Amino acid sequence: MTSGDPVLRLCGVEQRFGLRTALSGIDLTVHPGERVALLGASGAGKSTLLSVLGGSLPPTGGTVEILGMPLAGLRAAGLRAAQRRIGTVGQRLDLVEQVRVLHNVNVGRLGRWNTARALTALALSRTDPTVEAALEAVGLGWAVHERTERLSGGERQRVAIARLLVQEPDLVLADEPVSSLDPSRAAEVLDLLRTATPDGTLVVSLHQPDLARRHCTRVVGLRGGQVVLDLPVAEVDDRHLADLYTAA
Amino acid sequence: MSLDTRGERLEGRPGPPRETLGIRASTVTRRRLVGVTLVLAPAIWAFARALGSGTDVVNANGIPVLGRLLAAAGDPAHSVAFLEVVARAAGVTVVYAVLGTAAALVIGALGAVILSDVAWRDEPAPAVRAGRLVLRALLVAARSIHEVIWALLFLSVLGLDPLVAVLAIAVPFGAQTAKVYADILDAAPRQALSAMRARGAHSVPALAYGLLPPTAPLLLSYAFYRFECSLRSAVVLGVVGIGGLGAEIVVSLSSRNWDEVWTLIGAVVLLSAVVDLWSSSVRTDLAVASCSDWSAGSVAATSRTRSVRARWSAGTAVAALVVAWFASGVSWSGLVAPRTRMLTARLIDEMVPPALPSGGWPELGGAVLDTLSMAVLAMVLAVGLSVLLGPAATRVRPVRFLADPPLRWWTPRTAVRPVARVLLLLLRSVPPTVWAAIALLVLFPGILPGAVALGLYTGGILGRLVAEAWENIDLRPRDALRAAGVPAVAASLAAVLPPSSHHLVTYTLYRFEICVRDTAVVGVVGAAGLGSLFAENLDLFRFPVVTTLLLASLAVTVASEVAGRWVRKALTA
Ligand SMILES: Nc1ncnc2c1ncn2[C@@H]1O[C@H](COP(=O)(O)OP(=O)(O)OP(=O)(O)O)[C@@H](O)[C@H]1O
Ligand SMILES: [Mg+2]
Repeated sequence: MTSGDPVLRLCGVEQRFGLRTALSGIDLTVHPGERVALLGASGAGKSTLLSVLGGSLPPTGGTVEILGMPLAGLRAAGLRAAQRRIGTVGQRLDLVEQVRVLHNVNVGRLGRWNTARALTALALSRTDPTVEAALEAVGLGWAVHERTERLSGGERQRVAIARLLVQEPDLVLADEPVSSLDPSRAAEVLDLLRTATPDGTLVVSLHQPDLARRHCTRVVGLRGGQVVLDLPVAEVDDRHLADLYTAA
Repeated sequence: MSLDTRGERLEGRPGPPRETLGIRASTVTRRRLVGVTLVLAPAIWAFARALGSGTDVVNANGIPVLGRLLAAAGDPAHSVAFLEVVARAAGVTVVYAVLGTAAALVIGALGAVILSDVAWRDEPAPAVRAGRLVLRALLVAARSIHEVIWALLFLSVLGLDPLVAVLAIAVPFGAQTAKVYADILDAAPRQALSAMRARGAHSVPALAYGLLPPTAPLLLSYAFYRFECSLRSAVVLGVVGIGGLGAEIVVSLSSRNWDEVWTLIGAVVLLSAVVDLWSSSVRTDLAVASCSDWSAGSVAATSRTRSVRARWSAGTAVAALVVAWFASGVSWSGLVAPRTRMLTARLIDEMVPPALPSGGWPELGGAVLDTLSMAVLAMVLAVGLSVLLGPAATRVRPVRFLADPPLRWWTPRTAVRPVARVLLLLLRSVPPTVWAAIALLVLFPGILPGAVALGLYTGGILGRLVAEAWENIDLRPRDALRAAGVPAVAASLAAVLPPSSHHLVTYTLYRFEICVRDTAVVGVVGAAGLGSLFAENLDLFRFPVVTTLLLASLAVTVASEVAGRWVRKALTA
């Protein structure tokens, strides 16, 4: 199932916020093509782990290697180059409310665009096939020119996914990407996240174990900031899950 | 006057112990005492300083002249030839204002990007931070010097060139805009921007996509406000002889053609009214639409009219800029001409080292005290005018009960409001230099005519500010009192007086800082203070003294700002 060099390698990662330890002793290796579901109760550290994986939160301990590059050794420009290849969908969607949907999708390409290209796209508000295809894929083909602030919660979440699609990343990190979608939409979006990368590599935090079973290949369970479960999806049973969601 | 809002806040909390309340009450009393002293002591001192020198204050010979001036109001000059002059002068003033604003916005935008923290992706390097500190100091100095003083300095380098007016507006307003814009940028939500950066976006595109859209309405709104101020400044700058309505007024005043003065004042008032209306309509529009709420989609109803009006305004602004550019004949080449460079070098060379005025420290100290007492007296007059006209200028918002008599569609107040508003408009759109010239007809030169002129002008601005704030006061407490059977007048007093006096105090302190800076204008036309000493020494080419006076005004402005902030904190903490 796994092939090639790992896309992510974490060794003894620890994350403290003042006195509070959000993550401790995390060892995790993800290979291309793996679809990892992060499960765990609220506050278990899923979002924190995803921020560390995405390079936007330098861990207070341990080492992180992204796409074969050690995070600690990267300079600002190198880190940016690495981050361009990681697609993220956050719990807060980080959309710009005041602009058209089109521009929020284009934000996915800002890493590749030079300044002139980015500014003309913003000034001219013209669509192109890439944007239209991405919005079409998430079922928002009609909303290209809509103001983002007018969309519903679920629609906004899909704009964030379209932004990810145009980014063409090598790895997708998604934090509860389907939390405000109806079940059939949720399944659709998880499939889309898979198609966003060439290998389908995906790390996604979920609150619904069923979705994890159906869409992922591996389950990583967090409790109190530690990995307490790491199994191929076929081997996960209800007892494991019950353990995960009982208080530590 | 209640300067404290803590009383209101306490009411909402569940049962504080009695002792605490007792302590709070005594703090409140003490704070009021401090407040009253802070207000009264300077006022008394300023009056004593203005009147106490023992010389005559009122120039009895001037009273008939003033009478003739007032009489001429009934018959303003209206010959076609003169109206043409007025129209051309108005055009010049607008051109200066437009170009000055545009340049100020460019300076402001660049300065803001450098000064704001959010525009930098990472913590800037120590060298950059040191540079920013220097820039911040330079900008403080630039905005603490009045436009008129800037104009005089530019005049001595560039000669009579339209560029003088544009630069005199652009430099101090650009510095002010940079500060305000930097604050606006730093106050904006930044999650979207940091997410873009985390995704590897380049710096400029990230700012354009992530920071500009949420801040654009506020930035634009401030730009319109700046244009309003620039227009007033462009009129004032006429006093140094660079054309426009202000210069025509000076000419007509000094040749005592009172009928012409009235026509010109009419033109100034009309122009200000149009710009005020335009600016405030755009600003409230934009404010309603987005500034009130950045976080989520809450605008649906207003956004359509908003974008139409905003688009028209933006289009008009751009067109005006192009027209102004070609109409003005301003050429930047004057800035880099060898002659300019030579004169600038010589000016700077002559300005250092600074030297004291001929009267030494006592003269300098006296000028500083004159400036301060002029500003204090001006504020006393301005507050008086605001208390008088402000309530009349606010919209009436009656509560109605079944027992009340039916509302009449016409009350005396409906007629009073437009009158009060026009009066306030008149007060603030006639430039302070003109008020000073009129005051100098009946008052001997000194602190008093300057204070009267500045007070009338500031009264017009302060009155409008507080009237706008008063119109937005929350009236629910009053309505609740009325519903509980309290008589109308008592209910209004109890519920409206505390917040309105709070607004008045806040705006008064804020305008006081500006007023200190504005004393330069009336000083230049012959009132007392640092401004008149400055004009006098510049006329005599005593450049080392000019430097000292610039430093002194910088110190006074900064000190008054710091003091203002301190008083505000002391009164509201
Ligand atoms: N910036 C921060 N400062 C301080 N504490 C933080 C910060 N970010 C996260 N935490 C703490 O770290 C712990 C893990 O938080 P995290 O957001 O990763 O949980 P989560 O598993 O994503 O929860 P949820 O399912 O509710 O999103 C929590 O106790 C949280 O309070
Ligand atoms: Mg989370």
